[in-house]
Amino acid sequence: MSRSAGSMTGKEAFMQNIASRLGRREPLQKAPERPFIGVPDFYRDRELSTNELIEEFIRNWTALSGRTLIVEEAEAPQAIAAYLKEVCAELGITRISRWEHDRLRELSLDGPLIEAGIEVVPWREDGADHLRLAEPPTGSEGNWAKRSKLLQAAETCRLGLVWPDCAVANTSTLALFSEGGKGRSVSLLTDTLVAVFRADQIVTRMGEAFALFKERYPNVQQMASSLNLITGPSRSADIENDLTIGIHGPGKVHAVIIR
Amino acid sequence: MSVQAGHGQDTNMDERIGSGLKQRTKQALQDEFLRKAVAFTTDKLKNGRLQAMDAFGDWEAWRDRGRAIREHTNSHLDYYLSQFADNVAGNGGHVYFCSGADDAVKTFMGIADRHKAKLVAKGKSMVSEEIHLNHHLEDRGIEAIETDLGEYILQLARETPSHLIIPAIHKNKQQIADLFTDASGQHFEPETKVLAEYARKKLRNYFLEADIGLTGCNFGVAESGSITLVSNEGNGRMVSTLPKVHVVVMGMERLVPTFEDLEVVLNLLARSATGQKLTTYTSILTGARHPEDLDGPEELHVIILDNGRSAQLGDPIFQEVLNCIRCAACLNVCPVYRHVGGHTYGSVYSGPIGAVLTPLLQQDMKEAGTLSYASSLCGACYEACPVKIPLHDMLVHLRHRKVKMKLTSLPERAAFKTFQTVFGSVTLYKLATKSGYYLQKPLVRGGMIKAGPAPLSGWTQSRFMPMMPKQSFRDKWAALQAELAAKKAAREEQR
Repeated sequence: MSRSAGSMTGKEAFMQNIASRLGRREPLQKAPERPFIGVPDFYRDRELSTNELIEEFIRNWTALSGRTLIVEEAEAPQAIAAYLKEVCAELGITRISRWEHDRLRELSLDGPLIEAGIEVVPWREDGADHLRLAEPPTGSEGNWAKRSKLLQAAETCRLGLVWPDCAVANTSTLALFSEGGKGRSVSLLTDTLVAVFRADQIVTRMGEAFALFKERYPNVQQMASSLNLITGPSRSADIENDLTIGIHGPGKVHAVIIR
Repeated sequence: MSVQAGHGQDTNMDERIGSGLKQRTKQALQDEFLRKAVAFTTDKLKNGRLQAMDAFGDWEAWRDRGRAIREHTNSHLDYYLSQFADNVAGNGGHVYFCSGADDAVKTFMGIADRHKAKLVAKGKSMVSEEIHLNHHLEDRGIEAIETDLGEYILQLARETPSHLIIPAIHKNKQQIADLFTDASGQHFEPETKVLAEYARKKLRNYFLEADIGLTGCNFGVAESGSITLVSNEGNGRMVSTLPKVHVVVMGMERLVPTFEDLEVVLNLLARSATGQKLTTYTSILTGARHPEDLDGPEELHVIILDNGRSAQLGDPIFQEVLNCIRCAACLNVCPVYRHVGGHTYGSVYSGPIGAVLTPLLQQDMKEAGTLSYASSLCGACYEACPVKIPLHDMLVHLRHRKVKMKLTSLPERAAFKTFQTVFGSVTLYKLATKSGYYLQKPLVRGGMIKAGPAPLSGWTQSRFMPMMPKQSFRDKWAALQAELAAKKAAREEQR
């Protein structure tokens, strides 16, 4: 199955006008030559070791009020489960959503969490079937009440667990290619976000995350419909310049790095 | 607060851009809170930018690259815009090209009608302000909710943004608490945390219930047809994720060719706007959701707006204004903006960029063209601009255009005509300097002119003017020359 067809209205005259303003008789059909592309060379050429990447990521992440846990590969499943339970206990969280992702499944986190009384909503069609949800609030439009149970459930989860496709050290950014089991809502609707990833997934700069994205989806029409770059907690300075954390998206962000 | 008076509502605001400028300036200058708040915030943003620049290494190389990318894109806009639109449509999106504001509004209404929309949740979009979409929606009985916290506050106050990045820069906590109290019926203390928490809950409900999510577009990526949205709060993500229909309204020039170029402009934007290394959320949206996706909008509509932009293409002086990435760095450093705030400009876009963009987009030199005088031409805007738009030069060119079109006032034209005649003739010039000395006499006190009739009072209200000396420099020159020659001779004799 593929997406329904798109459409185009009013293109020809619009393009003709632009072309003539630019002094061309017809719109340019051939890709123009590019003497330069992307970032300046001095920035592109910067290379960091794995340890430097981890350090730089953590430095930036901490400056944005993000918390970090580093675990060794061998202890990862137990250590991460314990950390999640601790975070949930601290905030009184009893329901979390998580990406339906092979790497996360391999950590078998659901068992220990459920044992600790925490409900887990994996991002798949039947992910919320086991839950009893309170009646969703019916607003004036009644739209929300008609949405999928999964989406409604995600909105009641207070912690979201994701496995980013990569992380960017020099801005402390998580890059999330959202599609299928890697839902957008998991990193958006909760108050707390926990991202688990391997140290070797950290790259130096944003451009490398974009390169990975383009490599993963060489065909434009297959591209994940949403690539989200998340750099710290949701924030606003709109009220008298007072920094407010957690205005719409998660206000608490955790990075768990597996070494 | 006096800020609200006269320009609180943007209906018909545009028609008085020029003739109301003096009055609005006066009002703003009398508003103590406004001036303090604007100075405080712009300082903070400006200092943040300076720090971020330092930490980034060779800022000039970045500016040059940013400028080069934007310049290349706009000079080949027919190619890149076409590529962008084809990719959006190829990814299942619906693209509409609109030459004017009416056209864009009509297109949006068509989409709203098809979905029987009653509630639209809006992300921050200057273009939707530009086409006054909210008014049209209101007229149709469609509720449009601004979800950026600052914009939401302004919507409750029925005001327009006064800064590109911090729209409610001119509102204090007490005013915001009062607005929330009025809107909700419950009492609010002026505490940021409490106010923000209320807004979070209130707006969450709108995100969930909206029929349509409406956003602008910070950058479109031509090679993939992707829409890039940046926000710190996350409202941009909310409105482009939760409602079933996502509508984008964007200026036709808001493009970069590739993801590689996107990296440059995103870095420039965040650092220049707020001094952040990167905005909290950068969403790159490519088409509507795939069949296997379990969230995201089912439909994507992209409205691409000209509205006076194409008239700048190919213009040797003004095309560069289309390179703007809307970071507001020029507002934060502008000595005029910092004193009078955004509303004084009387248009959607304020500050130096607004003073240039508004008359160009509206193709109105008579009223909007007056904004070119709301500048000291100090060039701070150019220094701060991450894509090096020579705004101060453009302001001079706009003034020139206004003069050429004989749109300046009659006395002003007469004055300059006289100036031209007098300064063009040796005899008249001599006569003028001589007679000036005697004519000024009734006004001089202690060697200074401290008060005078109009138009001289425009100067003397805020500063003194030294009197014209009895002997002009020109008359003194012969004596001065002789004196110099004598000194020189004396020095040589000593050797």
